Amino acid sequence: MSNRANVGGWLQGKTIRKGGVVSTNTHSGRSSTPQVQSTSTTVFGGGVKDVSGRTSEYFSMDDQCPVCKSDRYLNPKLRLLVSSCYHKMCESCIDRLFTLGPAPCPICQKVLRKLAFTPQTFEDLTVEKEVAVRRRIAKEFNKRREDFLDLRGYNDYLEEVEDITFNLINDIDVAQTEERIQAHKKENASLIEKNIQRDEQYAQALREQEEADRQEREQRALEARREEELQREEREKDRREIIDRLETSNTDAAKVIAKSRAEANKRSSARTTVDSVLKSNAQLLRSRAARSTTIPDVPHIPLQDDWYAYEDAYVLMNSYEDPYSEAVRKDRDGIMRAGGYRVDQAWERAVRSAVMGLDLLPLTEQGSFSNSCPADIVMAPV
Amino acid sequence: MIAGNTSKDSAEADNSPVKKKNPLYEASTQYRNWRYSPERLEAVRTQLNAAAVAKIRNTFEADEPGSSANVAFLSASEEHLLVKLYVSKIPQLCGHFHFPEEVEATAITYLKRFYLKNTVMDWHPKNVMLTTLFLATKTTNNPISLEAYTSNIPKTSASDVLDLEFLVAQSLGFEFAVWHAHRALWGIWLDLQSLTDLPEDLRPQDIYEIALKHVRASRFTDAELIYTPSQIALTCLSIASPLLSQRWAASKTASSSISEPLSELLKDTLGAINAMVTQNGHPPDIESVREVDRRLKLCKNPEKVVGSKAYLARIAEEERLSERKRNKKAEDVRRALGEGADPFGSDLSDKEQAKRLAELDDDD
Repeated sequence: MSNRANVGGWLQGKTIRKGGVVSTNTHSGRSSTPQVQSTSTTVFGGGVKDVSGRTSEYFSMDDQCPVCKSDRYLNPKLRLLVSSCYHKMCESCIDRLFTLGPAPCPICQKVLRKLAFTPQTFEDLTVEKEVAVRRRIAKEFNKRREDFLDLRGYNDYLEEVEDITFNLINDIDVAQTEERIQAHKKENASLIEKNIQRDEQYAQALREQEEADRQEREQRALEARREEELQREEREKDRREIIDRLETSNTDAAKVIAKSRAEANKRSSARTTVDSVLKSNAQLLRSRAARSTTIPDVPHIPLQDDWYAYEDAYVLMNSYEDPYSEAVRKDRDGIMRAGGYRVDQAWERAVRSAVMGLDLLPLTEQGSFSNSCPADIVMAPV
Repeated sequence: MIAGNTSKDSAEADNSPVKKKNPLYEASTQYRNWRYSPERLEAVRTQLNAAAVAKIRNTFEADEPGSSANVAFLSASEEHLLVKLYVSKIPQLCGHFHFPEEVEATAITYLKRFYLKNTVMDWHPKNVMLTTLFLATKTTNNPISLEAYTSNIPKTSASDVLDLEFLVAQSLGFEFAVWHAHRALWGIWLDLQSLTDLPEDLRPQDIYEIALKHVRASRFTDAELIYTPSQIALTCLSIASPLLSQRWAASKTASSSISEPLSELLKDTLGAINAMVTQNGHPPDIESVREVDRRLKLCKNPEKVVGSKAYLARIAEEERLSERKRNKKAEDVRRALGEGADPFGSDLSDKEQAKRLAELDDDD
């Protein structure tokens, strides 16, 4: 995650052109200046994405495919992709070599697949590799300071992460390093998962806070505009009032002006208190929004009906001596239980049916007999 | 007892502000629709028999006046005897097919329930028994192919089984779920293990086997139409081992609003089931059934006997009805064709079209 933020910082999704426009170049239409071009039609995954989610692809006028030696002069649509062993190749070479399945790299003989080629973002392929490695490592080594008892442990951990990263980047003891990563992954599986979730939660909280801030800013701007309007109106009114008073009253002019000023000051101070109330309201709103992201986990209640299933009439044992279900229990391959048959459920069903309706007395005839005689049966005349 | 009842009720209402829950068994169709008092059961059978005899007698008379005078129709108890014989055939068939106990018990229940809605003189239990068993294999999730089923029973074709299937399902009211005593017995046997004061040597496995035999015998009786499966199971256990059944019953308290202990409450019920199972829990005497079956040949509903005059009359009537229906349909088609060449109706005339458009406009 941190990598992404770093990289996004200097790419910012904008096309960066160094050294002027191509057409103005005095050379024969070719430019030696690197350009970073944005494309959203990437077939292959990977690469570094900018803020807007598009992959920025490195592109320069003197690109040349190291395999077939074709260059941008011969093929203006030349697109070089990077293999997992960090060798560049043009798209037509990739198609030619890897369409029929995995094949060795023509440069280093490592077996490659077509889908493992990624677009190039950086001019320097070692940077490309480092970014990829760091991105991968950050996903698995995401412990934080809080996960360690002391600073010493955390620093050792960071040191180890850096070691591993360095080894992977520079191809030192790759097998051993991979083993170390696997061991770490296995040991800290739950912690890693937790940290991923925490990161996501943090990102979510940030987004929400940004949204709340934005709304508050808008609110405040609106308020300020209204305030300004109000003040302007008041000033206007005050001025008119002073003139009116000066016109009508016969007290000293300086006194009248001082009195009006004092009134205006009082009013403005009252406004500032209203303002502060408004601000604290916004803060309260924000803290409430932050709190509402953690929804308490309500215990799941499966089904509620008003049938009594004789639960209090029996106590189930963990296991019974039961020759009739022995075959199923001893079936080691589980063939007999394949359909989801569980002996304990069969037992529970049996025990429940043993107490079911036990105290239900048989029906007796109490006058209901003559009523419930079906009317459609007509007695035969004998 | 009534006083005790109400006081307990009010106490319960105080204790539990939540709605009183209904026991699960009382939700079953077995409880709601297939639970009779002994007298009611008897009455249902008598009325059914009387109605059937009257109807068949009328058919005889319509066929040939005076012919019913010396026909000896079956009585309700004779019908029941015949059904009982075919009930006893089901375990034999199930043994042959190695069906689980569940299938056997369900098929027997279906057969008994079917003859609470139909008469032997209309549908011979020989065929109905095969249908109920096949239906039970399906409803209890132990399916077998129809071909495998019929080819293993001599002189049976697929239509013998399938023709009656819908009738049977309809007579059962499509209520296929049945609670059985053998499962309750298994449950009691398992639950005995949770009694701590009952050492293992007091409950040898052969007691369970004996009790299970009594449960199977109870299927020849009407017990399941009157009592609950758990009561039948408890009775069967008490026949095999009174001590075990007493200990188990003592460990249970009557959950409903009756204050007396369970053993006291159930004393009469268990006694009645006990008498029923020990006296009637065996297949009927084959000679007496043979006599009934011989008479059935003479008195069965002639409408159902292939080749008889009444059968032919019924077929002719059905044929006539369906012919009329066919003719009416053909007439409708012809009239539609006569009105215009297009079977979907003619084009709308300009005037009519304008009218309809106006109507559409009105809607808007």
